[in-house]
Amino acid sequence: MERLRRLACLLVPHYAVAAAIRAEPGLRGQPVVVLSPTAPARVVVEATPRARARGVRPGMTEAEVLARPRGVLCRERVPAHETDTQGALLEVAHAHSPRVEEAGPGLVYLDVAGLEALFGDDAAVADRLRRAAVAAGLAARVGIAGSRAGARLAARLGRAGVVIARGEEAARLAPASLALLDLSPEMAARLARWGLQTLGELAALPPADLHARLGPEGPALAAQARGEDPRPLRTSSANPVLEEHQELDWECESLPALAERLGELGERMATRLARVDQAADRCEWVCRLADRTERSGALAPAVPTREAGALLPLLRASLQAALGTGPLPAAVTAVTLRAWPVRVAAAQEGLTERARPNPRALAETLARVVAAAGAEGVGEVVLLDSHRPDSIELVPFDPLAEGRVGGEGVCSRRSSALAVRRIRPLSRAAVRLVGGRPVALRSDRLSGRIVASAGPWRASGEWWSEARWARDEWDAELADGTLCRLAHDGGGWYLDAIYD
Amino acid sequence: MAIPIESTPPPGWGLQGIESLLDAFPRGRLSEIVGSWSSGSTSLLQALLVRATAAGDLAALVDADGVFDPASAARAGLDLRRLLWVRCGGQITVALRAADLLARCPGFAVVAVDLLPPPARSMGHRGLDHPALVRLERGVSGRDTTLVFRSPRHVAGSVAALVVEVRQQHPCWIGLPRPTRLGGLASEVSVRHTRGPVARQLLPGQSWTITWSPPWNA
Repeated sequence: MERLRRLACLLVPHYAVAAAIRAEPGLRGQPVVVLSPTAPARVVVEATPRARARGVRPGMTEAEVLARPRGVLCRERVPAHETDTQGALLEVAHAHSPRVEEAGPGLVYLDVAGLEALFGDDAAVADRLRRAAVAAGLAARVGIAGSRAGARLAARLGRAGVVIARGEEAARLAPASLALLDLSPEMAARLARWGLQTLGELAALPPADLHARLGPEGPALAAQARGEDPRPLRTSSANPVLEEHQELDWECESLPALAERLGELGERMATRLARVDQAADRCEWVCRLADRTERSGALAPAVPTREAGALLPLLRASLQAALGTGPLPAAVTAVTLRAWPVRVAAAQEGLTERARPNPRALAETLARVVAAAGAEGVGEVVLLDSHRPDSIELVPFDPLAEGRVGGEGVCSRRSSALAVRRIRPLSRAAVRLVGGRPVALRSDRLSGRIVASAGPWRASGEWWSEARWARDEWDAELADGTLCRLAHDGGGWYLDAIYD
Repeated sequence: MAIPIESTPPPGWGLQGIESLLDAFPRGRLSEIVGSWSSGSTSLLQALLVRATAAGDLAALVDADGVFDPASAARAGLDLRRLLWVRCGGQITVALRAADLLARCPGFAVVAVDLLPPPARSMGHRGLDHPALVRLERGVSGRDTTLVFRSPRHVAGSVAALVVEVRQQHPCWIGLPRPTRLGGLASEVSVRHTRGPVARQLLPGQSWTITWSPPWNA
């Protein structure tokens, strides 16, 4: 069975540090330690090899680390960064194989059997996985073998992992150190007392004797040392929502700086979307402020996109619409960006169809117009099913929906109709009546003698509900030639509209 | 007040005139419709939008004061599904910003800007800030978009390729001796200014008479 299986292991060493470096790429190549967030005794959780070379070890306190010569950079552990990193690692795996198992922080298995037709032999697959991980901001080790245990141990061999040929797991792993196994300190000390140093020495011990001395764990460790692990993959599906989070060491106090930070998250998100060959249908951003409040916003591109060049202007416009162009209400301490990915099929337009607007340019323009004029004032107007005057609703403008572009409009007649300029909000007016007809108007917009009028036109509706309404309308001509519509309801007169 | 003898205008009266006038608004240039209230200037702007959406194109209306009446516009033939309505809350700077963005976006056949009388601080000696107008003109230049301002007075200065002025001739009331209903509005549309090769077929002073039928007759 294991001769037929080919499993790859993607392993991110020093996972907490790797997550911190991925969130802050400027740390790459630096001596970095990640500290537990628990105050006052903040201790080292993980350290990079460069930091270890300076004598830093897990468990040291922050004060001990800072006392080291040649400064070591300290960062607090952020669970959200590790979650994002795990998501990115899973996406790398899902981009290569549909069968993926998430085995723990920084550890992912994927079934690579049959991929040689797509990517080449196992070495080429391993190289491709390694490069994809680097593109995701992770220095992952890759091992390929016939089992999960073999692949995991192979990932820990060599400079960046090795490929073990079919059926050669035991022989290839035999000279490797026992330290490659995930041994508890007690077990490691016990095996050391027995004089065991390599995986081969452990694998060669009789299983019955191992069971007698170590219990069930003994034979299991020996099987791992031989690269045996018959358990099948427990496959998981890709995350339905992609999330990128950034804790800001330097708080953002201005909109441009915040937009830049969010732009970095947007670029990372675009890379992740491209990796899984999907596009963002909807995005949401959340800013945590220093005053412990949150501000958030959402954006929906006119068409799903995964291009950073399209996402970034939309994010900037959304930020501007939500926070305004002035100073921020408080410094921003963390930003989160979420994307809802969808798979987008390529579409072929017909030869006879009118050219559609560029979706990307249109989406960006609409977002910027919304940022300038406010979301409540921009959109497509829909007439509500009511006779009540000015019963309208504004919905998001979706010009690329079916039937919006091309072909004749739903109202193909061309009319030289008199336009109506509706007064909003209602403008109360004083109207003088003679013989029941209006003869003079005074309002904050129009005033004057009425020289001609027609009416009243009576309208009412919704008499069956609390929202019933009724009013009389008059068309009137003022002495200066202005044509207007006056209305009267139970509350008095008002200037309803001007004909123009 | 003028009360015509006929009970209602003939169907389609003035239609040919308005078609040739609408054809004259150049694409890729800034045009302007000038007219006071009840002159018919908004009706002319609406006619441009109706024609664009009826042809299957997208149009945008930047409405500085939020006075657009969708119900009557729909009765006049405007396809609201193809119209982007931008209400600017009475702020001219927002209107100009939105117009600038929309003029630069491919896909809109008409970008109509319904302006308020601009406050003194945003006025140059003759109209809106010249740099803003030049930016708008450059934004729409070379595009397949007709950018049209409507304003109570001439604000686009020399930047506009076509300026037409709409004056009220007379309203049409129906009913003698006492009016019983508004029958329409007769307007005179005249070319006030042209610039550049696009509008050369028009001559300053050329005029049309258009009768706008009331919205309930559209």
